[in-house]
Amino acid sequence: MARYLLWRVLQAAVVIFVVTVVVFFLLHQIPGGPARGILGVQATEDQIKAFEHAQGYDQPVPIQYLHYLGRLLQGDLGESFQLNQRVADLIGARLPKTLVLTVLSTLVALLVAIPLGVWQAVRRNRPTDYLLSALTLLIYSTPVFLVGFIFIIVFAINAAWFPVEAPQADTVAGVFADSQALVLPVLTGAGVVLAVFSRYLRSSVVDNLDEDYVRTARAKGASEARIVTRHVLKNSLTSLVAMLGYYLPVLFSGALVTEKLFNYPGMGLLFWNAAQTSDFPILLGVVLIISIATVTGSLLADVAQALIDPRTRRVKA
Amino acid sequence: MLDYHHLSITFGDVEAAKAVSFSVRPGEVVAVVGESGSGKTVTAMSAMGLLPRKAEVTGEIVLGGRNIRQLTNKELRELRGNEIAMVFQEPMTALNPVHTIGWQLVEAITLHQDIADPKQKAVELLTMVGLDRPEQRLKQYPHELSGGMRQRVMIAMAIACDPKVIIADEPTTALDVTVQAEILDLLRELKDRLGTAIVLITHSMGVVADLADRVVVMYRGEVVEQGDVEDVLIRPGHDYTRRLLAAVPRLGSGSRQAEAATEPVLKVRNLVVSFAGQRAVDDISFEIGKGEVLGLVGESGSGKTTAGRCTVGLQKPTHGSVELFGQDIARLSTRGMRPLTARIGMIFQDPASSLDPRMTVAECVAEPLVLHKAKNHKERITELLDAVELGSVTRDRYPHELSGGQRQRVSIARALALDPDLLIADEPTSALDVSVQASILELFLDLQRRLKFSCLFISHDLAVVDMLANRVAVMHKGRIVEQGSRADVFGDPREQYTKRLLAAAPVPDPVEQRERRVSRG
Repeated sequence: MARYLLWRVLQAAVVIFVVTVVVFFLLHQIPGGPARGILGVQATEDQIKAFEHAQGYDQPVPIQYLHYLGRLLQGDLGESFQLNQRVADLIGARLPKTLVLTVLSTLVALLVAIPLGVWQAVRRNRPTDYLLSALTLLIYSTPVFLVGFIFIIVFAINAAWFPVEAPQADTVAGVFADSQALVLPVLTGAGVVLAVFSRYLRSSVVDNLDEDYVRTARAKGASEARIVTRHVLKNSLTSLVAMLGYYLPVLFSGALVTEKLFNYPGMGLLFWNAAQTSDFPILLGVVLIISIATVTGSLLADVAQALIDPRTRRVKA
Repeated sequence: MLDYHHLSITFGDVEAAKAVSFSVRPGEVVAVVGESGSGKTVTAMSAMGLLPRKAEVTGEIVLGGRNIRQLTNKELRELRGNEIAMVFQEPMTALNPVHTIGWQLVEAITLHQDIADPKQKAVELLTMVGLDRPEQRLKQYPHELSGGMRQRVMIAMAIACDPKVIIADEPTTALDVTVQAEILDLLRELKDRLGTAIVLITHSMGVVADLADRVVVMYRGEVVEQGDVEDVLIRPGHDYTRRLLAAVPRLGSGSRQAEAATEPVLKVRNLVVSFAGQRAVDDISFEIGKGEVLGLVGESGSGKTTAGRCTVGLQKPTHGSVELFGQDIARLSTRGMRPLTARIGMIFQDPASSLDPRMTVAECVAEPLVLHKAKNHKERITELLDAVELGSVTRDRYPHELSGGQRQRVSIARALALDPDLLIADEPTSALDVSVQASILELFLDLQRRLKFSCLFISHDLAVVDMLANRVAVMHKGRIVEQGSRADVFGDPREQYTKRLLAAAPVPDPVEQRERRVSRG
């Protein structure tokens, strides 16, 4: 297990390195560049040249990358042009809030998806199953921003049950204090993955119900309810846990849109605004964090599955 | 105890069971025999009330005075596992992979019994089915046990609530013969001790002869014959039963002699194959002469398939050499191998998965001809299909439109397409019903005599090898423990393991089988 982990961590490091290279070079292909973004359309050619020289943007891209990598290895993510703050501080302040949003969204999605998927599997191929499948598929195929807009119009503007805007507090505690404002962003985030989770669980439970061990349980005299909750669910959840890890990037990109929509000051909004102004250091920093989260997510998923599933657990000598 | 009265079961327009009637008395083993599709499993399963919803049932199934068909779901659940229990064929998939043995045993106990210490009872059950260190076993997961041990756990679960009847569906089919003999002994012992009636569903006449008191023979959903085991197996009344019995390969019926030594087509020297440090094949050497059939026998995991794969270069040996037609294959490039592979044909166990589902019969058979740029495909295909006795109507059919036996004939035709000098056959008949197996073996024997190809015939079935082989090599745990002429190895085995293997294979004659069992001790 230790050797396997070390190997996976090494793999992850390589992946992250490649991601930074690709993103760095792609960013520098964007026309206009950071100088135009920061100095505005009114700036003269000379002003732009001076800015680019000061930031080192007139050097060849590979050299720039080496400088960036050197600073990165010392833990320096650089400084935002627009906000005049260190990127590490900016991300540090917003990451916890994005985590709150994604974790809550995932929990809500799971709380709905697990019973829904199981229920659909048990009543498979009947009208209620088809209806629910159609409904979850509809949510799944609707773009996040549209789902968010519909929520805002229906629940915030028409019904006025919840505020239009997400909590604006700086701290996580402050965010939780304003829990009513959190409801719509969390529901929107949950909508992104709800259908994926419930459909996955449904088919997994359906497959498992056809397994021989279920026939054995029936032959023992176990009730259908017991078969689903005690026999099938543990098998199905094992694979759902693995899927969670792989869906981390999807959750993150969902947060990007959700945060913009509800003006929630998390990493997604930070990234969004930075993208508008070509604020390279922020963009690079956020991409780095997300790529780290992605590879750790899939690593954790594999490890978690190995721990839950006794077949992949190391056999004791 | 258990009575089937005019039971009919239909699925749509398929009649799986037609007016089946038989009864099972306490402490008696009734074997329900038949080939695949005979309706034996569906019939037996109906007593559990566990048929698929779309099944339409008429007739009566009476268990302990109650008609099962009139019970509610709740009443049926109280019956299952309690008064009537099941043992299934595949002990790996029949146990839940994510729960411990202990959890699953305790469940079987507590679903029907209110006892203070179900764990203690679970330990007693495991002891009763002959598992060592029962306390430790409770904490293990199914994948940590061998096939035989898992089947013992299944049996422990079945007897957990002292059922009146146990339905055992092919309980030993997935097991090796030596393990099969142990499990059959265990079932016999438990039946005598607990007085449980057993309905034994099987296709193996040897198993029937070993365990059954009475036999019910089913054919296409109907009971064609039933009676005491000795009557049915020794003096069969129905034509189908006679045909079925005649198809069973019997040890000692072989007649082929070892041929005089010729230039070997295949020469394997000190072959070793390791997987992750484990020796799957451990220093084996053998030769196959021109026109000779070598039977490579052994139980699962003995390394016989790996050895076979090495001989055609599908598996790289860790040590040792393989010489094909006088050339060391380790020294050949992939391109250099090609003229040699043209001289080798292969037949695999499962014709359903070794034929491309999107190729017609003619295309399957033509493929080696195309690959090796042979001429006159059309005539050759006709010739080959004639040789394996497949009519020209099958030419344009796809594998799924054929029966298992027909598919294996296509495999044989494909293997023979290039008129090979050496044929590697890995368990070619073990997925087939006995009557189909018999016709395939006859065909094979006839073709081999006519075309005089050499053959490495890999099988776990000693009786099949006895029929075909000139010489036999016995593999055990990666090694060849004994090798010699068929007559010597089967008639006068020297090694303990060969003797055990021969003694464990049940024969389809109840009187003879009883004697064998006694002498086995």
